Amino acid sequence: MSADSNTQVMDRSLPQEENGPVPVWLIILGFILVYVGLVYFDEYGGWFHEQVYAPYRSYEQVLTWQPMPAGDDLTPLGKLVYNKPTCVTCHQADGNGTPGQFPPLASSDWVNEAEPGRLIRIVLNGLTGPITVNGKSFNSTMVPWKDQLSDKDVAAVITYVRQNKAWGNKAGAVKPEQVAKIRAALKDRAQAFTPDELLKISPAE
Amino acid sequence: MNYGPLIFLAAFFALATSWFGMVLTPHAQVGHLQPTNTVPDGLTYPVGRAGLARQGLDVYRANGCEYCHSQQVRQTGMVCDVLLTDAGTNQPAVIQKLLKLVPEASEASLKEKLASLPQPIKEHIGRSEAEALVKALAVGDVKAELWVVPVGPDISRGWGRRRTVAEDFLYDYPYMPGSQRVGPDLADVGARLPDVSWQLRHLYAPTVDVKGSPMPPYRYLFAKQKSEHGGSPEALTNLGDHAPPTGYEIVPRAEAKALVAYLLSLRANEALFDAPFTVPSAPATNAAPGTATNAAPVTATNAPAPAK
Repeated sequence: MSADSNTQVMDRSLPQEENGPVPVWLIILGFILVYVGLVYFDEYGGWFHEQVYAPYRSYEQVLTWQPMPAGDDLTPLGKLVYNKPTCVTCHQADGNGTPGQFPPLASSDWVNEAEPGRLIRIVLNGLTGPITVNGKSFNSTMVPWKDQLSDKDVAAVITYVRQNKAWGNKAGAVKPEQVAKIRAALKDRAQAFTPDELLKISPAE
Repeated sequence: MNYGPLIFLAAFFALATSWFGMVLTPHAQVGHLQPTNTVPDGLTYPVGRAGLARQGLDVYRANGCEYCHSQQVRQTGMVCDVLLTDAGTNQPAVIQKLLKLVPEASEASLKEKLASLPQPIKEHIGRSEAEALVKALAVGDVKAELWVVPVGPDISRGWGRRRTVAEDFLYDYPYMPGSQRVGPDLADVGARLPDVSWQLRHLYAPTVDVKGSPMPPYRYLFAKQKSEHGGSPEALTNLGDHAPPTGYEIVPRAEAKALVAYLLSLRANEALFDAPFTVPSAPATNAAPGTATNAAPVTATNAPAPAK
């Protein structure tokens, strides 16, 4: 007898696994565990958003809990949106921008126009190309915000900038309806505006 | 049978899922965090720790402070406070209205409140109730405000105004959120106990200011020296039973000064977008008990009142 066949005999004498059905209680337990896990995730996971911590369940809930004074004044919401951070990243908390790179919003001739049409277009679709603000020239790119900010957010942030007395701005407020109108008109446009193009548009439109 | 590949695959799968869940996902989530801005003031947060405080972090680590002190404040929810900021000209009418809206208030207490506005009318209520109350109150020249207030066991102990978020540790390495609480949480200890001499005395002789404190004294962070030329301006005062013999004084070594600088730099209590709360405007701070509870020292045995 060779060594090989000897092993085979020993193998056969070992107890063998047999097929059997998975117990029903185990399946039910599995489902219960998955269910509890999903409920727990929904409660505390915040859907992986980096700015959502317990006890908040979603980004929208964090938004609704931002401290807001009552009333129709959009300025507090605008300040919140500005510092979210959105605009503050380039235009800075004091609205002075970055010299040579990003134009100022404080006492800016573009911001203080009588009608906000051009500003709304810039915020919605972004801006690219050389621009002259307060006699100084800038040439950089502003990203579009149409997908991130609602009509109310855009109206609020432009109102905050235009009515910011500390920055020397004293233009009129913007209503969400004005933004909605321009957003609808720009529905099919994806590319950013150039300053020359904006200057051809009447700001009241 | 050869189970090698199967065991390898199972072990690989187990390690890969835990790596995915505990390393990769958190990294993708908060690995790119940048300084943020306070809301609504728009100031940069956090600012890096000053040089001495940065050295103090190493002292904190070397002495194992994080084994007994956590730096993470938990929050279980948000509630609303309603504040009356302006009672207008017809105060008796406002009082009548308040008696109807807030049945538990007495007329005398309301009159007292109206004398020094702003005053909280109703505290720790739900959002919809608070919004309805503000709407009912703020008619004509009467003005009311809705404040959002974080609540939780740690916050009611006075350990902070809001929960801890990842940004609080942005410039720290290693970050020491701690896992046990033999002592109180230190997330905002710099705002809670800003007195340098109190902190130094507490490190030298913890039981002087906190009766029954289980904290060990860290005497090797201090030096005992002969009191000469009228004494050092840095010498510890009010040491009670632990005072050195006459003619001697206790002065902090560089490590103690660094550690206290680090402790005072722990101020994780700014209102952020991801941890919002209403920041009381300056004049309201004294008048509003709702905020006073947050700022006031706690009654817990090991979190005493700062020397005022």
